[in-house]
Amino acid sequence: MPRFALAIPAWAWLVTFFVAPVAMVVWFSFGYKPGIFGTHANDVLSFDRYLEALSPTFFTTFLNTLWIGLAGTALCLVIGLPVAYWMAVKAPPSRRGLLLALVMVPFWTNFLVRTIGWQVILAPEGWLSTLLQGVGVIDGPLDILYTRTAVLIGVVYNYLPLMILPLYVAFDRVGNPLREASKDLGAGKWRTFARVTLPLARPGVIAGVLLVFIPLMGDYITATVLGGAKGNMVGQLVASQFQTAQNWALGSAMAVLLILVIMVTVALGALVVWLATLPFRSRNRLVLGEPPSTRAAPAAPSGADSAADTAPAAADRVPEEVAS
Amino acid sequence: MKRSWSDVALSVWGVLVFLFLFAPIIVIIVSAFNTGRLLVAWDGFGFDGFIALLAKPAIRDAVWVSVQTGAIAALVATVLGTLAGIAMARHPGKWVFWFIGLLLLVSVTPEIVDAVALLPWLVFLGQDLGLALFSDGVVRLVVGHSLFATAVVSYIVRARLVGLDAQLEEASSDLYAKPLTTFRRVTLPLAMPAVLAGFLLSFTLSLDNTVIAAFVQVSGTTPWPVYVLSALRSGLRPEIASVSTIMLVLTLVALGLVAFVLRRAGDSATQIARTMTGN
Repeated sequence: MPRFALAIPAWAWLVTFFVAPVAMVVWFSFGYKPGIFGTHANDVLSFDRYLEALSPTFFTTFLNTLWIGLAGTALCLVIGLPVAYWMAVKAPPSRRGLLLALVMVPFWTNFLVRTIGWQVILAPEGWLSTLLQGVGVIDGPLDILYTRTAVLIGVVYNYLPLMILPLYVAFDRVGNPLREASKDLGAGKWRTFARVTLPLARPGVIAGVLLVFIPLMGDYITATVLGGAKGNMVGQLVASQFQTAQNWALGSAMAVLLILVIMVTVALGALVVWLATLPFRSRNRLVLGEPPSTRAAPAAPSGADSAADTAPAAADRVPEEVAS
Repeated sequence: MKRSWSDVALSVWGVLVFLFLFAPIIVIIVSAFNTGRLLVAWDGFGFDGFIALLAKPAIRDAVWVSVQTGAIAALVATVLGTLAGIAMARHPGKWVFWFIGLLLLVSVTPEIVDAVALLPWLVFLGQDLGLALFSDGVVRLVVGHSLFATAVVSYIVRARLVGLDAQLEEASSDLYAKPLTTFRRVTLPLAMPAVLAGFLLSFTLSLDNTVIAAFVQVSGTTPWPVYVLSALRSGLRPEIASVSTIMLVLTLVALGLVAFVLRRAGDSATQIARTMTGN
């Protein structure tokens, strides 16, 4: 019996219902739409659908999606980082379980329903609009719903828990001893945060950014509920090609392009971050000791990032920080 | 000791963000008791929305389809994911690298791509190949909902077993237990908390799945989220909020059970949070 025998059913299931369909979509993307009633044909293969998908009509939507993706991820990071730090470091340990549970509740509320909640809040005739008009912040009814701003609010809201949770885990792992050591060695709290806590929490930042950016780019529901005509995203474009326009070839090309855009952006982002932090990393080198053998095997190894696994070891031993 | 201004600022920020996180949920729960005709316009307090669940067959059927497909999809994902997770943890090799690659691919592919890919594929299987099974509404939904859930269960079960020593299983085979007996009496009970957590997570994932469901569903078996999505176009009524509130309570009960199971198995709050987000 081969070693992977038990994984064969899952493998077969995923190949049949994930790999094969996606491969078919890639195949469709090289075809064309034959006439009004056909959805796709592949007797002539070309890259024409990709050119069509990048024509000015659709290209603005791709740019729009990328803008929302980048701005949304950045906002999630800026909003989520202090919260995660507060939960993991400042809040009393006895309340952390409760706070975590509170972050999970929105995460597990139906995506569509909580987005509808925002539609109710942002509606021109809604109570927020009435309140703001009553206070005198705005003159007319609130004019946010069905714009790009509404979509941005929606995606930041929808994906914020996915940013907070990995950041919390990362901050939690850094542990108090290291921060105290940094303080004992004369560093102020800002310096401790910038030179000890944040560098050690880097795997969490990376995980959070990826967990937010990737699904956000493919989001379909938020833009449908809050975006209207002005806040279009690629997800809707793909859906409409399959559902209303019945042009499966073009829709497939858009879907493939969407995946490519996500992959290229993540790769470029990684490169930029790597280059930008180069001077910091050469100045701020961590020398971590081997994890002591007395430490029990961790109950749930992350496996996500090798750097993540060195973090708990670091909590047991004060590393010597070499700064030049 | 006096608290520094930065600590105070952090606390205030934390509370504000929590308010932000709960704002739309509170709005939905409050709207559930709206007696008006439209969700957006508050009319009066009452239970009309909840009565609609009993009175309107379309809503009742949608909720039932959701619960039904949720249970079947969770079962499929749990069986497949548990076996795969055990294989990854107990029979590691080069293949695990490729398999995890496949699972990662399943998890990061945008749902909308899965959805548009599954639709023609299921049509192809059902009509071109004549497999009538794939023209059945519930089967289609189960297939669509089980993909991501299978990956999640595999991760959870693998993480649990990797953290536990394989000595018990070795002892079992040293004592002449057949492989199947060892699997049934030792490995499976060890993995059980993760299996249960995986089942409940898959159930809630399926209950919430909107995008894939909207594409693969067949009229007649419309799950609840797709009903809501179509109501979005025809006008949202308070009953949407009422039924959603009930579904939210259902989900929270399931998740509370997950947390309870994991806590009993000795996980910390942080580990539970990691498991429940699937990473």
